[in-house]
Amino acid sequence: MRIRRASAALGAALAFGAAAAAVPGPAEDYVLHCSACHQRDGAGVPGVVPPLSGLAPFLATPAGRAYLVRVPGVAQAALDDERLAALLNWVMSAMSGTAPDPAYGAGEVHALRADPMRDAPAQRKAVLEHTPH
Amino acid sequence: MSDFDVRIERAVRALARRTGRRTFLARFGALLVGAAGLPLLPVARGSAEDTRVPTPDENIPGAQGDPTSCDYWRHCAIDGFACACCGGSPSACPPGAEKSPVGWIGTCRNPADGKDYIISYNDCCGKNWCGRCGCNRNEGERPDYHWVRNNDINWCVSAKTLVYHCSVAIVVGQATEPQPER
Repeated sequence: MRIRRASAALGAALAFGAAAAAVPGPAEDYVLHCSACHQRDGAGVPGVVPPLSGLAPFLATPAGRAYLVRVPGVAQAALDDERLAALLNWVMSAMSGTAPDPAYGAGEVHALRADPMRDAPAQRKAVLEHTPH
Repeated sequence: MSDFDVRIERAVRALARRTGRRTFLARFGALLVGAAGLPLLPVARGSAEDTRVPTPDENIPGAQGDPTSCDYWRHCAIDGFACACCGGSPSACPPGAEKSPVGWIGTCRNPADGKDYIISYNDCCGKNWCGRCGCNRNEGERPDYHWVRNNDINWCVSAKTLVYHCSVAIVVGQATEPQPER
């Protein structure tokens, strides 16, 4: 079901994007910048690529919220800060079922991606250890 | 002699009086040759093509280009053997090969309509390498350190086996703009 909903949303987004002939929406940016690994529905590949469905706990702490921007695949995406913020907000709502509150903004994303993450697995572990369950 | 035998004998004798063996052989031979030649007729070939299962992205304009050529528009950033030359198609692995779940995604411009399309490059794995139609086009491709846009990686690392066979270039959808690296 999730696949069908995601592809319906993607289809609508692509159709809208084509009609408006403007900047791609976050659903299209997701396909171009994330889906090659995380798959079109965000399910990931077992044992190879983590799914995007379980990211909600990261939004519970400032460190987790920062992690989602600083993790290399996100921080190094070939997107400007505004589109990256929109993409993050969309992924969290559509794939993880939790919209960031407040939503990520370009300024926050700009500051966070300027601070490179050198050991993503260790950071991930530290963030999740300090997340309330 | 039973009634049954008598009736059969009469029928067979009547048949033998009406038809010569040579006539029978000639007609039966013609039937065999004719039946063998039937699939060669254009009508038969036409119906065979209709039963072929089309891939979903075959309906976009320009798809009629030659997918066995490295110049085919979807191959704008392919590095490997085109699966269309290896018993598959631009969108499907040959039988017996498994599509790598992870690949890389970029855009190619379709000359038929001048639009950009999102293309997913995936490797087909589990059969020895194909060796036909070795292509290396790198439009929008980036070095190893930008691995999400790199085509030198053997994407079979994400499949059940590392053995590389060929590469597919699947149309995912229309792109609003070309990928940023192009």
